[in-house]
Amino acid sequence: MSRGLTRRNWLGAAALAGAAPPVPSVSTPGRRAGRTARQVATNCELCFWRCGILAKIQDGKVTRIEGNPQHPLTQGRLCARGNAGHLLLYDPDRLKRPQMRVGARGEGRFREVSWKEALDWFAARLAQLKEKYGPETVAFFPHGVGSSFFATLLRAFGTPNSAEPSFAQCRGPREVGYALTFGHGLGSPEPLDLENARAVVLIGSHLGENVFTSQIAQFAAGLARGARLIVVDPRFSTAAAKADWWLPIRPGTDIALLLAWMHVLLEEGLEAKQYLARHAAGLDELRRHVQSFTPEWAEKETELPAGLIRETARALGAAKPAVVVHPGRHVTWYGDDTQRARAMAILTALLGAWGSRGGILLPTPLPRGHFDLPAFPESRRGRADGAGSLYPLASEEQGLTNGMIEATLSGKPYPIKAWIVWGQNVLESIPQRRRTLEAISRLELMAVVDVLPVEHTLYADLLLPEATYLERYDAPHIVETASRPFIALRQPAVAPLYEARPGWWIAREMARRLGLQAWFPWQTPEEHLARVIQPMGISLAELKARGAAAFEGRPYIEQRTAADGPLFPTPSGKIELFSTMLKQLGQDPLPLYRPPEDPPPGWLRLIYGRAPVHSFARTQNNALLAGLMEENAAWISQEAAGLYGLRDGDRVLIENADGDRTGPVLLRTTPGIRRDCLYLVHGFGQRAPGLRRAGGRGASDTALMSRVRVDPLSGATGMRVNFVRPVRPTEG
Amino acid sequence: MARYAMVTDLTKCVGCQACTAACNAEWEVPAGWARTRVLSTGPVGRFPSLRAAFYVTQCNQCDEPPCVAPCPSGATFQGPDGIVRIDRELCIGCGFCVEACPYQARYLNPATQKVDKCDFCSANLAQGKAPVCVSTCPAHAKHFGDLEDPAGALYGLVYGQGARRMESEQVRVGPNVYYLGRKGEPELAAALFPPRPPRMPSAGRFWGRTLKPLALAMVGAAFLGQAVAFFRQLWKGEAQFDE
Repeated sequence: MSRGLTRRNWLGAAALAGAAPPVPSVSTPGRRAGRTARQVATNCELCFWRCGILAKIQDGKVTRIEGNPQHPLTQGRLCARGNAGHLLLYDPDRLKRPQMRVGARGEGRFREVSWKEALDWFAARLAQLKEKYGPETVAFFPHGVGSSFFATLLRAFGTPNSAEPSFAQCRGPREVGYALTFGHGLGSPEPLDLENARAVVLIGSHLGENVFTSQIAQFAAGLARGARLIVVDPRFSTAAAKADWWLPIRPGTDIALLLAWMHVLLEEGLEAKQYLARHAAGLDELRRHVQSFTPEWAEKETELPAGLIRETARALGAAKPAVVVHPGRHVTWYGDDTQRARAMAILTALLGAWGSRGGILLPTPLPRGHFDLPAFPESRRGRADGAGSLYPLASEEQGLTNGMIEATLSGKPYPIKAWIVWGQNVLESIPQRRRTLEAISRLELMAVVDVLPVEHTLYADLLLPEATYLERYDAPHIVETASRPFIALRQPAVAPLYEARPGWWIAREMARRLGLQAWFPWQTPEEHLARVIQPMGISLAELKARGAAAFEGRPYIEQRTAADGPLFPTPSGKIELFSTMLKQLGQDPLPLYRPPEDPPPGWLRLIYGRAPVHSFARTQNNALLAGLMEENAAWISQEAAGLYGLRDGDRVLIENADGDRTGPVLLRTTPGIRRDCLYLVHGFGQRAPGLRRAGGRGASDTALMSRVRVDPLSGATGMRVNFVRPVRPTEG
Repeated sequence: MARYAMVTDLTKCVGCQACTAACNAEWEVPAGWARTRVLSTGPVGRFPSLRAAFYVTQCNQCDEPPCVAPCPSGATFQGPDGIVRIDRELCIGCGFCVEACPYQARYLNPATQKVDKCDFCSANLAQGKAPVCVSTCPAHAKHFGDLEDPAGALYGLVYGQGARRMESEQVRVGPNVYYLGRKGEPELAAALFPPRPPRMPSAGRFWGRTLKPLALAMVGAAFLGQAVAFFRQLWKGEAQFDE
């Protein structure tokens, strides 16, 4: 002891002893605890609900995204995708620099070029094509917010041809059907008073698997308060598990169910009599129309017991007017979709729910400022896609993607020789992919603007890297369809990585080259923003700090003022149970049921939907989200699997009646689906080698949609008309 | 002192995994792993009479945490607020605690070779922030608070609304994550995902019951010996020191 132990090494020995159970001071070190340098309030774009977010920035990098508690609609809540947004920003597979094709289309060989060279070439090419074929030869395929300034550019250029899947592959028939009935559509976010509803009807809407934060919040709050839930779905969805009544309907027979519900309500005097007397036109015609559509009649069509139909109709009658018949969102199913939307709108009216507490909220108009732009040139040739002509009720603002592809293929009514595809996945969101590829092969110019190397970028002549939502300003998000209308801001959290550029910059640069600067009288996006919010009584600085600002809403009928315009801007000024406009067009003025074509023996109907951790085909390459779900699975009933000699866990290909195949994909057998259906989550099975995580994983529902049934009213593509079967990879 | 606990309302939960994503992002959990998971019972029954529920799992911060004893390095310990924490400096990545947890709430992080698990976002609690799974949940299905505060929301949910613990005949360790459900969701989840009786490999059991007390005794003896030596040195005076 005389030499060894000193005070210093005694301390060392004690520290060693500390390796046995010590009394640790602090543990679980917080990586970021107290170290966030700054945060930026903006909004999300992993989907288009655009929840309010706070991007946390440390050392110039976005390290975390949290919900913005000051956002009036989403109040700080974020779904899985929103929480993973920074992994899109830092996705190593991002498009980094402008590129021009050097190989054949589809080969994917490009050379990198400067923005100057890219845009000079782009502008010159557009000018040439305009000279040769007229400006309308350029068709725009946007999806999202970043493209809005480029849309202005193309209207100034002289083409009315713009089409996005949000209409013809999504919400179009719903907007048309509700507008025919109430005078205006629903818009997005859907203004549903789910929180105060006493009954909720979901027809194919799979809330929970389809997640929009505030809609889920209100749905869950409504359920917790005891709202009765009726779920109509051939599949036992997340929502079905929460339902008081699950109605596993025979696919394509929803209108029969809706007519029978109306029959019971009117037969038993359960309709909202005073509301209808005051606001509706055509009740007598409707009463006569549904007289023969008894629950017993509907039972034969829907395969739902008549007693169940009656019981659920009475539950709706008892809960009125606080009933949300969810209008759906992706509703392009069977080609009778506008009429189904009409039937849902009429049911909503019979229950007195439009504009009532616990029903459907009315929009509150917000004033907004704008620059005085020169008038856009009028096209003498009109639109090429049939919106407004062949399909008189289709939106001319959103257009028909399928109509645009048809025009490209046929050259009628005039040649479409150039596509500009901006953030829209034309191969994964539009059915009949072989036709889309054929149309692309006939183009003289295919320009693509995107963030990631999705499949169709392989076919681009010019490929431009767009800044992500975390790197750019966009036009503000103005929402009138919420109980409190609001404006929310998209502003950059960090500067664009690589050579990515924001949409507003690309549009302005092209305007300069095409001599269209007059439509871009602002120098910076802040200047544009300041003008838009001028009449709203808020400052730009305040908006930038908080991310959003809300205003008083007047969502219920009794709150409406003259400033809000007519309550029901229909031709009659009333709710049109009987549609005078449809009568004029020679269409059914009251919805009629027409039986669907059933799958032939040995085939299943392809149905599809969403998973809560993915949006469209946009998020499958995200490292965090792929960690939660890297592949989809094909659901079929145990009974159907037995017929094919397949078992749960087998890896199979899915084949359609036209011989298209996709997969391999895991087969999941479940009691939770009708025996005549096969279900896939959308967005997987992408054939994009540049997406190193998502490419080739799972099966693509879109690849199996070789057939569509086009809705004669909206022009939208009914997509649940494809029959498929699972096959072993070695077969055939 | 607080007794932190959580209540998850399975009637509200839609299984969207926002909690998992927020947690993974907040704590840089590697892809494929999680501190909190959403399990699905899937449809149970015969078409069309089916039921299903989600079960959100995470560390239960048990009253009698079975993960503490098997830890050979003392990295896992329970704080006075009831939260079970891991001192990453001390964790040797042996995984005994992973096996011991009845709720499979622990995992060995392949990036750090340390065990990781939910600690109610301890580092954020100090700043007055709720755990990120609670603050992000779109369905508002998760509640966090102090079970010893009779005025707090959590107290009412647990003692007033009868939120239940996920325990079984074999596993009674006093978990502090509670579950609510109007339609029997917690019962369905418990039936499909019962807590696993604590598993301890023989080495861990030997360590926990025999070697660890022995080692502690030896360390204690060494400490005592050193203390004695130190005071003897002091007694002899500074001059006797080498330096």
